[in-house]
Amino acid sequence: MENHEGVPKLKDKHIMIAVDESENAKAALLFVAGFIGGFHGFRVTILSIIAAPNRDLFGSDGERQKWMADKREAISAVLERYRQILIQSGFARTKVRTELVVSDDRPVSAVILEKQKEACCCALVVGRRGISKSEEFLFGSVSNALVHNSNNCSVWVIEPTCGV
Amino acid sequence: MTTTAGSRDVGQTQQGLWDLASRWVGPSRVPKKFRIITDTSEFIRIEYDDIVILGNSPFLIRHNQKEGRFGMDDQPKFWVKSAIDLTSGSKKIIKLVFQEQFQARIGNLLFDFTRSASKEARILDLVREHASFMHGYPVRDAASNLVRVIDFIPGQTMADYGSAGEMGHEEYFFSVFPSILREYIEAAEAIHFLHRHNEIHGDIRRDHLLRDATSNRLRWIDFDFAHGPNENKFVHDLFGLGNILMYMAGGRDITVQVLQEEMPRAYSAITEDDLNIIFHNRVANLGKVFPYIPEQLNRIFLHFSLGAQFYYDDAEQLLDDLIRAADGLRGV
Repeated sequence: MENHEGVPKLKDKHIMIAVDESENAKAALLFVAGFIGGFHGFRVTILSIIAAPNRDLFGSDGERQKWMADKREAISAVLERYRQILIQSGFARTKVRTELVVSDDRPVSAVILEKQKEACCCALVVGRRGISKSEEFLFGSVSNALVHNSNNCSVWVIEPTCGV
Repeated sequence: MTTTAGSRDVGQTQQGLWDLASRWVGPSRVPKKFRIITDTSEFIRIEYDDIVILGNSPFLIRHNQKEGRFGMDDQPKFWVKSAIDLTSGSKKIIKLVFQEQFQARIGNLLFDFTRSASKEARILDLVREHASFMHGYPVRDAASNLVRVIDFIPGQTMADYGSAGEMGHEEYFFSVFPSILREYIEAAEAIHFLHRHNEIHGDIRRDHLLRDATSNRLRWIDFDFAHGPNENKFVHDLFGLGNILMYMAGGRDITVQVLQEEMPRAYSAITEDDLNIIFHNRVANLGKVFPYIPEQLNRIFLHFSLGAQFYYDDAEQLLDDLIRAADGLRGV
């Protein structure tokens, strides 16, 4: 695609920020806001994955549905708040979108990468939890999995203490 | 809780059940009057000599089962009863519904666990033809509680069977451990079977692995534990498998305290990287303590150490290494 002067029109660079309700995720979002907020040529998807808890954890389907509805409401509020932060940092309203995905029984990292691929994002931004080796072993590390399994995409793992 | 026979079969009247019970335990051991229970919701009130009717089958309740956990001595599990199936006379374990949610500490980490009757019922169905698991069937009581009726397995847990006891470690390792390892590989393959069906055991530990005295096979019991989402849902099971393996190879838990008291030279050689990744008082790098442990086997242990650079993602990876290590052990 070209503009009227025959100069190739640049496509926006699409960045995906994967967040949850944690402070580390907020730090990742603030990093993007501070780092590229106000610059042209970028658009952002703020993605959140709800890892649907196994049905075995609930006494009934109703309990599980309620848990999911509450979680969806809480995360939707977080996503909207984060969208506003990016807009205030200088992103055009039309350049910030949010997406909430419920993942059934799949690693969160796999769902994030699937969404990154779908949206053709060139960079993926996540917060670093700073977990111990024991925690990483037993709970897994989403950021590690993203770094190891991403293709055609840079992964920015943001230290909570290096906010811009 | 229902305590009257109501409209049940004639065989499930007081007299009919008394006759059945006397047949299996002897008339002198059956009380003249006993409670007949069809709703097991209040499991804590179900006691010795009660008769529970499940799916038209009567069970004479004996003792509550016990289990030690998280450093505590054996605690009664009021929701798990030993019983006699009055139809066949066989010994059963009756697992009543206790939808318990709790946090447990493993090492320094806190976990959310749930006891799920439906998970265990599902797995019982999946493994009904598999010789490496406990067998049984789920049945709903009069209040729709999903009760599991489990065949009793006579035998030792791995806590006893995989122990060196009084034997010196080197003798144990070369004379006893290789055959235990072969049996253990079969048990690990059974866990891989679960994982292939997208199920987890959920609570792999040495007292949940029994050596069936009848079939001489290792069999997994108790799969009602479920936990929350995880980047790798199989990792708890893998960690449990690793712990049992290291216990068997060491002939007991090789702790820092054991080394300090009994093997001061090994104690002085141990570094933080050699310790178990979760239980920091246990040694994972057993090759440092017992230098005759082949490198190939010891490398498996190191996947569960604080110094690990790589972890197993699934049981298949562990099994590949285990089978090679077992072959190597035969050649020693």
